[in-house]
Formats: sequence, structure tokens, C-alpha cells
Amino acid sequence: MVDQENKSAARERQDAFLAQWASGEGIDFAGNEEKAAYQKRAGLIASAITFDPDIERVPINLLTTFAPTMLAGVSGREAMYNPDAAGKAYLDYHNIYQPDAAGLAPLLMYGPALETLQYKLYKWPGNGVADHLSFQFMEKEYMKADEYDWLINDPTDFWLRGFVPKTADALAPLASIPPIYGAMELPMFGPWLVSMGTPPVQEALKALMEAGKQCFDWINTLGGYLAKIMAAGFPCCAGGFSKAPFDVLSDSLRGTTHLMMDLYRQPEKVLEAMERLVPLMISLGVGGAVANGNPIVFIPLHKGADGFMSNEQFEKFYWPSLKAVMYGLADAGCVPFCFVEGAYNQRLEYLAETADIRSVYFFDRTDMGKAREVLGGKVCLQGGFPISLILTGTADEVREETRRLIDAAAGDKGYILSIGCAMDEAKHETLKAFMEAGREYGVY
Amino acid sequence: MTDLKDLFTAIVDMQEADALALTKQHLGNSTPAIDIFNCYQEALEEIGKRFEKQLYFIPELIMSGEMMKAGAEILKPHLAEQETGSGGNGNQKLGKVLIATVAGDIHDIGKNIVTMLMQLNGLEVRDLGVDVPTDEIVEEAVAFGADVIGLSGLLTLAFDPMKAVVETLKEKGLRDKIKVIIGGGQMDQQVCSYVGADAFVTDAVLGVNRVKGWLS
Repeated sequence: MVDQENKSAARERQDAFLAQWASGEGIDFAGNEEKAAYQKRAGLIASAITFDPDIERVPINLLTTFAPTMLAGVSGREAMYNPDAAGKAYLDYHNIYQPDAAGLAPLLMYGPALETLQYKLYKWPGNGVADHLSFQFMEKEYMKADEYDWLINDPTDFWLRGFVPKTADALAPLASIPPIYGAMELPMFGPWLVSMGTPPVQEALKALMEAGKQCFDWINTLGGYLAKIMAAGFPCCAGGFSKAPFDVLSDSLRGTTHLMMDLYRQPEKVLEAMERLVPLMISLGVGGAVANGNPIVFIPLHKGADGFMSNEQFEKFYWPSLKAVMYGLADAGCVPFCFVEGAYNQRLEYLAETADIRSVYFFDRTDMGKAREVLGGKVCLQGGFPISLILTGTADEVREETRRLIDAAAGDKGYILSIGCAMDEAKHETLKAFMEAGREYGVY
Repeated sequence: MTDLKDLFTAIVDMQEADALALTKQHLGNSTPAIDIFNCYQEALEEIGKRFEKQLYFIPELIMSGEMMKAGAEILKPHLAEQETGSGGNGNQKLGKVLIATVAGDIHDIGKNIVTMLMQLNGLEVRDLGVDVPTDEIVEEAVAFGADVIGLSGLLTLAFDPMKAVVETLKEKGLRDKIKVIIGGGQMDQQVCSYVGADAFVTDAVLGVNRVKGWLS
């Protein structure tokens, strides 16, 4: 953990990276008006994060997956198989609703590449779920109880020869290749090279090359639209991604129920594994942020929510390694942007501990009045608007709730208005009402 | 009657290895298997109470389910079939619950925890799994004689399939015969009103207690 002097240096690095991002340098804008619009939007977000007393209004930043495509009448399947359809829908969405940050169309990923890999970690429209729906995670015990030491001692080897072969059938043969360390000497190189030449591994490598080419072509098509969105004056909502080490284990490796049992059956291994994951999660986040020139690192938080564990368990198992990741990101000038899924009404006080670095907590079901009471003026708050009202309420109800939420949460000028979930869908009238009300009631 | 306090404490305190060892020890000492089984039931009731008081959370629910499963495996050969009913008092159940994750949604962790808890609390449960079409939910509920339908969904895209189940029950004249409870991360009163359900929960034990309240 950074000490006191380093903490202020970290904050300075974060502020510098935010300023660089907000300037829009290096972006090819459509015109001066669009550049000014970008600087205004990014400036609002940076101002909320840094508690700028002169901030003009509450920025509005929506987290979207399929909502822009569904609003355009594009099915989930089309969104994942047709980058032109996805890109156009995302471009139109931004022009219509004018959020202060751009949603991340690449989150949709590309169905054909997943099919080539025979991907099993998710089902998606066109492969396991109906065409009109969104992708869905297939949680399983991909890492066995006796594989902790493998993960701890050599995470990359575990990922390459343990996890990936179990989550993509076309890459299953990679489980049979030996570790790569023999490459250090000519006489020892043989076994690894020979394994690369075995027919099953050759097929796996062909599938990987094919999927890689498909994704490369996909992002080159989608990228054209992303560039247009940015050129039109919309800063991207995040530059990098990371995860809480506990969620890495619980979501993707051990699965929820098995990890919960590990807390009792092998707690020391759980702690050791999470400690091992910390530097990897830092470098994952920093890498994306630096590559994209955007300091905001998105971290979805899952299994530390109210009800999932006690405060004692949170304090022992969930929080320390997440905090270490957050401070590591801050030390590199990045801004941890934690999407606090579920509710954290029972543990808001922990989040206040990161008041010495720039951090954003994007809330889902947490009571925003309570969040402001505990965290106001200390860390940037975001979210809290219920998606249920967007999908099942009226425009008037949405306007009233937006006003109420801003009154409850924005008083310290460190608040970003948002609907409290990653939106798979939305309704035009209520979303429009939300955006209009946000701009009307959000003026300081 | 044998004092099973040590077993009760081991289960409640999440001492899995001790609970298993004590189960075998008491069985070896000729303690009636049904008494040991009832001890597990009482311990799980205590765990449920601690969950309601927010002393215990999901890890403890899962561990208790595992301990119950392991204990039941050891005790099964020594128990008459009818003795594994509610509270060990024969096969009397409080009522029948049909549970499913609705059409289009394949998430099931919460549903599986709720199913386990309902079974441990004396409810007869039929779990249809995930991505279950609306018509199948209603047909199976009728065939099963369900008193309650529990609908699970994590996605916002689950709202309309949930509503469709309630609408289908109305069309078939079944709405006043079968209660509907919805559960999942995005459930709130707004969704409950939209769907037309009788209750919503985001907490497994609250859900079980609500259902038990309806059936008692």
C-alpha cells in the first residue's frame, strides 16, 4: 500500500492523467465544435471525480451493453454478429441521447469468433439463448479445489493450460502441452515444440488464429464507428478493465458456491491466491488505460455485496485485495471505477477508506442518501437510478425520481448521474425523460 | 435421549469435519438415526434464524446445505423412507412450490439456494431448472399441484416472461389458487407491480419465510 507521501503523488498522477484525457489530445475530431463538446463532457466527469467546486452540472454517464442496439431494433444476435449494425446503433444512440460519456460497444464481442473457439464460458444470442436476448455467464467449477497451488505458483500457466482449455472446447488440446520453461535451452526445447506439432494442438492453434483474425476484422469495422462517436465529441466511459481478486476466483474460476465453501475449507489458499492476483489485476487495468489514453479503469464488483458475506468476511477476504488493486491503479495514475453491483448499505464505511485517492463508486441497489451521508465529499458517487423504472415506469415517474436522486446524492458536487446497471435494454420515452431531467435538475 | 448438543453446535458453528465425525460417532453409539437427522434440522433452523438476524450470510447457507447433504448420506441407510419428511414427523409437507428461472434467463445460483432452503424447511419443491418457457411453468404447476410458483431471474429481460406467467395463470382461471413470488438481483416493488406477483424478494431466507407464511 502506498504511504502518505506516495498517496498524494498518486493523486497528482491521477489528476494529470484525467486532465490529459479530458483535453482530447490525439483525437481526430469532426470539428472544433465537437472538440469543445468532448472537452466539456470529459471535463464534467473529471470535475466530478476531483470535486471541482466550479463544476456546472451533474454529468450523465450510462453503462450499456445491448441497450443501444435493442433501442435501434437490432436483435442481440445481430448486435454480436454484425459489427456494422452494432456500430451504427451505438452511433445513433449517442446522437439521440447525448450522454456525457460513450458506451463501450466492444463489450458485445463477436459471435463468430466465439463459435470458432467453441466458447463455453457464456451462452449468447445465436448460441444457447434466443436471438432477441443478451449474453449470459455460465458459472461452473472451472478450477478444482486442488488447483490453488497451480494458480498461485504460475497463474499464466494455469490460465493457458488449465482455465482456457476448459472454457473453449476448440482450445482443449492446450491442456496437454507441457509448461514452456524448457524453451530456455536448446536440448530442453523439444518437448514443448513437439507438442505444438501434434495434430490436436495444431487444430487448436488454427482455431485460435482464425478467431483472432475474425476479431481483428471485427474491431476494424466496429472501430470505425467508435472513432465517429469520439469524433462527434463523446469521451469513452472507461479505458481499462480489472476485477476484484475475490471475484476472479468466485465468478470465473471456482464458482460462487465452491468458493464460499473454500472460505471454510481452505481459507489460507483463498487469501494466497487473491494476493497473487493483485499485481495481475493492476497490470490488466493499467495496460488498457494507457493503451486507450483514458485513466478510468472499470471494476465490476460482484460477490462482496450485502448478503453475500458478513462484514468480517468482507474485511478478511474481499476488501484488502480489492483495495490493493485500487491503490496500485492509482499509483499508475489510473482512476478505479468500481461498479458496485447489488447493495453495499452494510459496508459503505469501507469504501470511504479510499478517500485519499481519486475513486468512483457506481451504485446499483445501494441507498444513495446513505451513500452520500457516508461517502459524500470523499469519493465520487455514481448511479442509483433503478432500471426497473426505465423499463416499467412512466416518463413522469422517471423525471420525478431523477430529481429526487440528484437532490439526495449530488450535494457535494462529486456525483455522476447514471442508471444503476449495465443496460441490456431500455425504453425510448423513459430514457429520453431521464436524460432531459438529468440535464434540467442537475445544474448546480 | 442422547444429548446431541455437540453435533448441534458443530453444525451451527460451521465445523464441517467435526459435524461429520460426530454424526458417525453418535450413529456408532446407537443413537437413533432419526434423532440425529432431527438434530440437523434443528441446527439448520437455527442457522436460518441467524441469517435473518444478519449474523450468517450466503457462505453459511451453502455450508449448512453441504453438511446436511453429507449427514443425510450417512443417515439414509438407517432411516425409514417416511422419516425424512418435515421435522422428522413423517412425510407431511407444508405445501408445494414450483420454482424455475424464467424463459431466456439461464442464471440459477440464487434459485438453487432457495430450492435447498425450501426443502430443508419442509416444503415440497419441484425445480424446473433454467430458461423455462411460460406455458411449461404453468402446466407443470398444475400437474404438480403447486400452491406457490417461485420465479427467478437475474436479467431485466426476465421481467416480461415473469409477467407472462402471471397473465397465463389469470387466463386459465388459476390466479387466485396459486401464489406467485419473484426473486432476483433486479427485483423491486416496481417490478413486482409490473409483473403482478404477490411478492418479490432479493434474499433467500425472506423468500422462504414469505412462502411459509402463506402456507401456514
